[in-house]
Amino acid sequence: MSDPVPAKPGAPKVKTKAMIQDNTRCIGCRACMIACKSWNERPADHTDFFAGPGYQNPRDLDANNYTLITFNEITTGARPNWVFGRQLCMHCEQPACASACPTTALRKTELGPVTFNSNRCIGCRACMQACPFLIPKYDYESRAPLIHKCTFCADRIEAQLKPACATVCPTGAISFGDRDDMVVEAKRRIATSPGTYVPQIYGLDEVGGTSVLHLSSVPFEQIGYITGLPKEPMPDLTHRWLRVTPHVFGFLYAVFGALAWIVHRRNKNRGPEEHHA
Amino acid sequence: MSVQTRRAGVRPLWDALGIGRLFAGFRLTWWDFVLLAIIAVGGVLTLIRYATGIASVANINNAYPWGWWVGYGIMTTIAVGGVGFTITLLVELLGLHRFHAMLRPAVLMAFLAYASAILMLMVELGRPWMVWMILVSWAPTAALYEVGWCASLYLTVLLIEVAQVPAEELGWGRALRVIRMIYIPVMLLGVTLSHLHQSSLGTLLVLIPHKINALWWSENLPLLFLFSAMMAGPALAMLEHLAAARWLGFAPRMAMLASLARIEVWVVAFFLAFQMGDLLARGASDAMLAWNWFAIAFWAEVGLGLLLPLVLLMLPEVRQRPAGLATACALIVGGVLLHRLNVAVIGLRVRHWETYVPALAEIFITLGITAGAVFVYGVLIRILPIHEELRAPHAAPRPHAAPAGATHRAGAATAS
Repeated sequence: MSDPVPAKPGAPKVKTKAMIQDNTRCIGCRACMIACKSWNERPADHTDFFAGPGYQNPRDLDANNYTLITFNEITTGARPNWVFGRQLCMHCEQPACASACPTTALRKTELGPVTFNSNRCIGCRACMQACPFLIPKYDYESRAPLIHKCTFCADRIEAQLKPACATVCPTGAISFGDRDDMVVEAKRRIATSPGTYVPQIYGLDEVGGTSVLHLSSVPFEQIGYITGLPKEPMPDLTHRWLRVTPHVFGFLYAVFGALAWIVHRRNKNRGPEEHHA
Repeated sequence: MSVQTRRAGVRPLWDALGIGRLFAGFRLTWWDFVLLAIIAVGGVLTLIRYATGIASVANINNAYPWGWWVGYGIMTTIAVGGVGFTITLLVELLGLHRFHAMLRPAVLMAFLAYASAILMLMVELGRPWMVWMILVSWAPTAALYEVGWCASLYLTVLLIEVAQVPAEELGWGRALRVIRMIYIPVMLLGVTLSHLHQSSLGTLLVLIPHKINALWWSENLPLLFLFSAMMAGPALAMLEHLAAARWLGFAPRMAMLASLARIEVWVVAFFLAFQMGDLLARGASDAMLAWNWFAIAFWAEVGLGLLLPLVLLMLPEVRQRPAGLATACALIVGGVLLHRLNVAVIGLRVRHWETYVPALAEIFITLGITAGAVFVYGVLIRILPIHEELRAPHAAPRPHAAPAGATHRAGAATAS
C-alpha cells in the first residue's frame, strides 16, 4: 500500500481535497461500491440479500467492503420511499484513529486521505475503538489480519486522479475537488434548492471537520448517520492528558526521589538493623 | 572461568546455576495439578487461536473490537499488578517498614501480573509478531503508545527487583552487587512509570465518550484508573498474605494486616468519594437511578466492590479476623475487575446490530494465563525466600526455610 508524505505543520500548504456525497442525487445503483472493490482489489463475498434492512446489501462495512450505500425506507411526502445514504471513511481533519494508533500506521496526509500502512500495524484495533464513525474494520478470520477502511484512493489522488467512486457515479452524487471549493459548492446547493436539502453539511464541522461532506434530503439520523458528535476534534480529549506526560514523569520522579532520600536518611539515623530491600 | 564452564557443561545448566538445589524436597500438590489443567485448556485454545485466527475462538467483532481480553486480560491484570507499586510506595517511599514483609510478595505478584498481561496482549493483538513496532515508533498522541512503553519498561524494572531474590539465594555475587547499586533509582522509576501507565489505560477510553455509558465515561478516567489500581494493590497484598499463610503454614501477621486495612479504608473511601463526586459533577446522577442493566452493573460495582468492603473493613471484629479480612479484600479486587469490565466492555455500546458476549474459549484462554501466573507464583514462594515469615526462627520447619545466611554461603560455594 502506498504511504504518501504525512502533513507537516511547517511545510508549504497543499490544498486539502474533499468529496461531496450528495445523497439527494443518489439512485442506489452501487456503482461506487463496485468501483471501490475493483480499485482496492477486494474480493466479492457471498451475502444474504435480505439479511440487513431491506435491499441494503451487505449489512455493513467490513474488511471486503470499504463503502456501502445504505437503503433507508422513509415516508417522504405521502408514500414510503428509499432514501439512500453512504458509509465510507470520513477522512477527518484530525482523525481519532490516527491519534490512537501506537505505531503511526494510520496517518492524515497533506492531500486529505487518512492512509493505512499495513507494514506498521500490530493489530491492537485501537483505531476501530477510537473512530466516532465506526469505520475501520478487521478481518478476524485471517491469521495475519489487517485494518480495512476506505483509502480515499490516496494513490489515485497522488496521481491527480479522482477517487474510483467519484469517477463512476452516473448521477453526479459524488463530487471531488479542493475542500474549500467543495464547501462552497455544498453551501451553494443548499442555498439554491432549499426544498431539496436539509440545511446541514454533515462533515463540515463534525469532530473538527472531515474530508467527506454529506448532503441529504432528510435529517441525517433518519438515514443511519451518527449524529450528536462534538465539534471539537476527538484527539483533543486525550491530548489534554498525554501532553503533560513528560512533565508528570519528571515531577513524580523528583517527588518520589525526595521521599526516598528522606526515608533513607531516617533509617540511617535509626540504625541499619531493619532496612534491607 | 572457561575451564569451569566447560567442566560444568557436563552437568545440566540447571545444576550449574544451583537452581536444582532449590527444588530439594519440592513436591507438586493437588492444587498445582488443578492449575496445570486450566493452563493446559488455555494452552490448547491459544494454539487454536494462532492456527486458525481470532474469529475461531473469540466473539470480538467489528463493532466491539475489544472485549474480555482487554477488559480482564489487560485492564484488570494491570490494575491488580498495581500491588507492586502501591506496596513499594508504602514501604520504600513513605517509610512504613511495618509492611516490609509484604514487599517481596507484592513485587513478585506485580511481575507475574505484568508478564501475564503481556502474554494476553500477544493473544489479543492481531499481529503479535509486530509488537516491537511500538518501540521504534514516535506516537506521543496515542495512549497505547505510552502504555506500551511504560509497561515494558516497568516489566524490566520488576524483573530487576525480583532477580534480587534468586541472586541472593544462589550467591550470584556480582549480579547482586549491580542490582543493589541501581536499586533505588530503578525502584523510583518503577513507581513513577506505574503512575503514568495505570492512568494512561484510562486515557485510552477517554477518547470514546460516544461509546461508553455516562455512568463510566469521564474525562477523569485516567485518575479513576490510577486510584482504583492503588485500591486493588493493598487488597491483593492482604489477600496474598492470608492465602500464603494458610498454604505455606505460617501464622498470618494480623496486626500488620489490620494496620494496612485501616489505610485501605481511607483509600476505598477516597475512591468512592472521587467516583461519586465525578458522577455528580458530570450530571450523570440520572443514569445511576435508571432501571436498566447499566445501572445494575454500576450498583453491583459500587455496592459489592466499594460500599460493602468499606463497611467490613471499618468493623474491627471483621478486619482482625482472617476470614473477614479476606472477604473484604476479595470484594475490593472483584470490584476493581467489575469497574474495568464496566468501563471497557459492559458499559460500552455502539449503535449497531452487532452484540458482544465473550466466548467461553475467550475466557478460558485468559484463565489459563492467570492460572499460569498463580502456578509460577506458588512454585517460587516454595523455593525462594519470598515470605519473611518462613525465614523467622518460629516458622514451621521446612526444607527451604533455612536461615538466609546459611543458604547464601552454600550458594556462594556452589557457584565459585
